[in-house]
Amino acid sequence: MRTSDLIELLARDAQAAPPGFVNRRLLAALVAGGLVTFAIVAGGLHCQPLLAAAQQSWFWMKAAYTGLLTVAAAVTVRRLSVPGARTGAAPFAAGVIILAMLVLGTDQVFFAAPAGRLTLWLGHTWKVCSPLIFLLALPIYACLIAAIRALAPTRPPLTGAAAGFLAGTLAATLYGLHCPEQAAAFVATWYTLGIAGATALGAMTGRRLLRW
Amino acid sequence: MRPLARRERVDPQVPQQDETEERLRPLMIRSLEGDSAAHRQLLGVLGRYLRGYFARRIGSTAAEVEDLVQETLLAVHLKRETYDRSLPFTPWAYALARYKLIDHLRRRKRSIQVPLEDAGALFASDDPEEGALRTDLDRLLQRLPDRQRSLIEDVKLQGLSVEEAAHRRGVTAVSARVMLHRSLKWLSQALRDENE
Repeated sequence: MRTSDLIELLARDAQAAPPGFVNRRLLAALVAGGLVTFAIVAGGLHCQPLLAAAQQSWFWMKAAYTGLLTVAAAVTVRRLSVPGARTGAAPFAAGVIILAMLVLGTDQVFFAAPAGRLTLWLGHTWKVCSPLIFLLALPIYACLIAAIRALAPTRPPLTGAAAGFLAGTLAATLYGLHCPEQAAAFVATWYTLGIAGATALGAMTGRRLLRW
Repeated sequence: MRPLARRERVDPQVPQQDETEERLRPLMIRSLEGDSAAHRQLLGVLGRYLRGYFARRIGSTAAEVEDLVQETLLAVHLKRETYDRSLPFTPWAYALARYKLIDHLRRRKRSIQVPLEDAGALFASDDPEEGALRTDLDRLLQRLPDRQRSLIEDVKLQGLSVEEAAHRRGVTAVSARVMLHRSLKWLSQALRDENE
């Protein structure tokens, strides 16, 4: 086939494309994956009494940490999903948020009574927290990858990492509905580790999964 | 106004690229609105630039360059919805072409040294001379199911419109459109996997 024949063929296939395709695709993936993860949290793990929790500052501390990270991650994924867009300040913002949380956690442990430090850091659920966030991120990650494959990421490993990061942050936000832990030191460590795990998975599988 | 106009002329590279941008972006926007004449024109211009860009960077046979041009044009076509109408078009096209080049070199297990350049690198020179007649796509076409292949052949060889071809093959225009689009997606994927 000559290239001019191919172009002729492609011209016949040129249909109107309404704007907003990329946003719709990514949003649909987040909603679909988020619903699956939410169903697992609500049905399998059970939410903590939310009305009572919503009165507590620690509940909002966790929600703010993972929620802000989710926003920064979503902006980054959006940018990386199409050719020629700059990532902008969002990854930097995510770094600042994580750093702030680490400082907050360290500060909390530092000023706590020595006898209570370990409990503050490990809570009651440190063994399951990170693995659960990682597992809860998987449905979201799968939906995101399916969506991004329909787009055009020109840096697949980096885009995979960002998608894993986004899946992790959203999963952590939803996990916060269940998780009764209250310490900043706990969140800074085990939440962040779970999110890091999802990010690593994305970085490792992105190159293979996101080629087009 | 006068000093401003003079300042724009300082860097000879910039006006040239702006000119390309001003020429191609409206074509892309019209193409996204479903204007197939604009789409044809855009792909034609891009094809010539892609040929020049790839030829200088893979320094290989004209056939290999032409394969990559065809693969990239298919990608431009199938991924055009990822172009944001509020942004410049040339950086989008350049990033896509560069990705296809890197992917191509990786598949051929060549060293990958593709510097990140200004989008102008893609539009520095064009080459209207098509390389050899490529048979990759034709061979892949043979692997399509009969109905899809005959639809493509009607459109490609007989120059029929999709509606005419649909009528001839006894399917609705809508399903012919869907079939054509699916076939192109499949071809794009197969073309890439082929050289794996």
